[in-house]
Amino acid sequence: MSSIELDSVSKRFGSVEVISELSLTIHSGEFIAFLGPSGCGKSTLLRMIAGLETVNGGEIRIGGERVDHLPPGARGVAMVFQHYALYPHMTVFDNLAFGLKNIGTPHDEIARRIEEAARILEIGHLLQRKPGQLSGGQRQRVAIGRALVKDPKAYLFDEPLSNLDAALRVRTRVELARLHQQTRATTIFVTHDQVEAMTLASRIVVMNARKVEQVGTPMDIYGRPATEFVARFVGSPAMNFLPVTIRDRAGLATAVLGDGSTIDTAVPLDILPTGDLRVGIRAEAIHVRPDGAVPGKVEVVERLGDRTHLHIRLMDGNTLVAEDKGVSQVQPGDTVPLAVEGATAHLFDDAGLAYHARQ
Amino acid sequence: MTDATLSPGKAVAAVKRPTGASIGPRWTNALFIAPYMVFYLALLVYPLFKGIWMSMLESDMFDDTSKFTGLANYYRLFNDKIFIGTIWNTVLFVLMTVPVFVAIGLLLALALNRSDRTSASLRAIFFGTSVLSVTIVTIIWKMMYMPGNGAIASIMRLFGLEPIAFITSSSLALPAIAVTTIWWIIGLPMMLFLAALQQIPGELYEAAALDNASRWRSFWSITLPSIRRTMLVVVIYEIVAQFQLFGQAQLLTQGGPNNASRPIVLFIYEQGFRSWNLGYAAAASEVLFLIMAVAALAQFFASRKRVEG
Amino acid sequence: MAASEHIVGRGIGNKLILLSVVLVAVIWMLPIAWTLLLSLKPNSELMISTASAFHPPYTLKNYTDIFQSSGVFRWLWNSAVVSVGVTAGILILSSLAGYGFARAEFKGRDIIFVLVLLGLAVPEQAVIIARHQMFSDLKMHNTYPAIILPGLSSAFGVFLMTQYFKAIPKDIDEAAMLDNASRFKIFWKVLLPLTVPAQATLGIFSFLGAWNDYLWPLISATKPEMFTITVGMASTQTNFAQSEGLGFLMAQAIFAGLPVFIVYLFFQKYIVRAVAGAAIN
Repeated sequence: MSSIELDSVSKRFGSVEVISELSLTIHSGEFIAFLGPSGCGKSTLLRMIAGLETVNGGEIRIGGERVDHLPPGARGVAMVFQHYALYPHMTVFDNLAFGLKNIGTPHDEIARRIEEAARILEIGHLLQRKPGQLSGGQRQRVAIGRALVKDPKAYLFDEPLSNLDAALRVRTRVELARLHQQTRATTIFVTHDQVEAMTLASRIVVMNARKVEQVGTPMDIYGRPATEFVARFVGSPAMNFLPVTIRDRAGLATAVLGDGSTIDTAVPLDILPTGDLRVGIRAEAIHVRPDGAVPGKVEVVERLGDRTHLHIRLMDGNTLVAEDKGVSQVQPGDTVPLAVEGATAHLFDDAGLAYHARQ
Repeated sequence: MTDATLSPGKAVAAVKRPTGASIGPRWTNALFIAPYMVFYLALLVYPLFKGIWMSMLESDMFDDTSKFTGLANYYRLFNDKIFIGTIWNTVLFVLMTVPVFVAIGLLLALALNRSDRTSASLRAIFFGTSVLSVTIVTIIWKMMYMPGNGAIASIMRLFGLEPIAFITSSSLALPAIAVTTIWWIIGLPMMLFLAALQQIPGELYEAAALDNASRWRSFWSITLPSIRRTMLVVVIYEIVAQFQLFGQAQLLTQGGPNNASRPIVLFIYEQGFRSWNLGYAAAASEVLFLIMAVAALAQFFASRKRVEG
Repeated sequence: MAASEHIVGRGIGNKLILLSVVLVAVIWMLPIAWTLLLSLKPNSELMISTASAFHPPYTLKNYTDIFQSSGVFRWLWNSAVVSVGVTAGILILSSLAGYGFARAEFKGRDIIFVLVLLGLAVPEQAVIIARHQMFSDLKMHNTYPAIILPGLSSAFGVFLMTQYFKAIPKDIDEAAMLDNASRFKIFWKVLLPLTVPAQATLGIFSFLGAWNDYLWPLISATKPEMFTITVGMASTQTNFAQSEGLGFLMAQAIFAGLPVFIVYLFFQKYIVRAVAGAAIN
């Protein structure tokens, strides 16, 4: 397995710069996810590593060797495509064998590798079928198998789960995690689904509007989002944002809401910029409690079984989502007192940059 | 996925230096189009320009030489009553056939846009004649038109009427060719319209039926607007195709009587390959090319305006 | 298929329409039926009156005569050679060029493609005099290549195949690139097998077109032994009334029409799809 280094990589489509001077190191054996909404440039970046898009500036190295001038086949990586891209007229066996034949792998070696991959992926009984005769999940396995047999320096996944139905997606997610634990292969996984990124990756690269917002472990991304975009994109329901003014509380910031109620945050005052600020609080940090300091009127109650989401309008007219227990007694129209865990609150400036409590 | 560790493979990439394709422009990629381009340049582009050149030459049959005469051939053409007559005949023929192709083609398509077996067989009948060659079609229709022995003459006699000599009458020769042509290739516009009709979502008609729209109303407000593009394709295609009328006229009427049914292509053919006035024939063919191009372009722009406006 | 055939209350109207179309279809078939009838009558009877076609005796003699005396077989063979040659040539050239225009990048490709598309607008008549001159200069008339080669310059197949290749998802090529396949291998092993339906369509179109082509073979093939069946059948019509016999002529027409008609019956599905495809593009 090999590391992958991107060194101030740029990409233009015509005069539009879609990726500019991006640098990133993916360690050997790491499972990294590129996360972002569609059009953020994450797939383009993956395809540049694969050799399916030209690189307009910078260097890409795989295992220390510079590859950005090499054709896709010579880079030693394998890719699993969103729509699988199996060769429709070839049997599963031939799909797996095609790449190996092209580099002159001996027949018995091809057979051995396919047999092994088929055993791991449990597709041995499908080898003589054509892709058209397979279900979505089976095609997915064959696509992974085609990557597996090549014993590549790195696996590249381009939204591989987006075509599966919900149940299958969850199952395949677990299987991918297990597969990575076994192979310890360098893996890049492109997705727009934050749950996939959180559950699979050891590190996540969050991208938006063609630039990297944050690189970090899943808990970093969730717990200390670098920007408002990351905070809103990761986590469900999305983080609540409320405009506040700041009051000094022994060096820490106390956020004052529009109706005068306060939230005691753990954000140091000295790192905060001047100008308008907003507080960011996740729903799970806002509860209905008799001693709650912030009053609000419940507008919609969403029951999820294990917990309940309450859509609440505050006295100053702002709205937020709070979390209550599964058997919540709250009804739409109720006015409830809300308790906010200020320790996990973040502050955001005008530019969307985040300020957190000290670690 | 069961227990498994993928056993380390032999260094596969080292077996042979990979020669896989890469993205981006490569001049070697042009080799894919090279074989076709040879034929395209040699047998279409070159003769196109050679034809224009030839149209400005006057060839001498006797010593096999030719001299440049500029636009003299064109000048002569436009003073040639027979040639002007062929343009008129061809335009007339287009006017006779194209509206009928559109109207009958669409009617048949509407009637046969069904999934039952009868409709399928009927479609096969109407389209089937299109696969016959022009020479077989004209043999068949000569037997229809023959004044003495023809089928139409026999039927007319049956009703006590005097048989008409269609192909030797100067007013009926061209219409006779038109009827033959429509019989021959009505299947194509029908198929084009059928394809277009099948693109219209069935829900539209169901919604219209729920809205109490009559069959007629559905046709005007759903069917016609949906097939406007196909209508245009059919019209342009048929104009271009019927301007090239040749075989039916040559074989049924030989352009007669008295040039009454002589189309442009027959004129070109006779000047070029019967009288061997190659320059003159080339000039006539350029005129035909120009007329067809103008007709197609006019249609194209007219349609664009309508769609945009 | 049918948009409104199942809507309640339209059954009777639909039936009436269908009935009238059936009537038209019967009239449509009259000319062929008439030809068929005449071909089954002895020539001597037809000399007196074609009305005798409506009653016996009928005979197959006109058809058996074809086997003995007519050039039809030679012409059918010529047509077969020409049509197969044109079809094979068009399929090979169009597939290669279609892949090239759709997938293989090189400088100037898009401009060249536009120029090729412009070629669609050039009618045969605009180039036929010059073509004839070219083949005369090469002393090639009355050969198979002379009849076949001009047909290979048509841009239609290139256009059709380019469209078809463009419609194939690009990630298939990309997967093949990552699998170390060369350009030609991607074309030959990966994409070409996926174009079989388009090949069938184009093949049938080309075959029928070449089989029924009239103007060029008429000009290029002047020796009767090089006639295609289409030109040959034309040559039998020139002295129509005084020919060897009406019945014989009709039998020849039916016989000569049979091959394409059989092709039509076998490949009707593809032909319909081909026409439909052309309409949607």
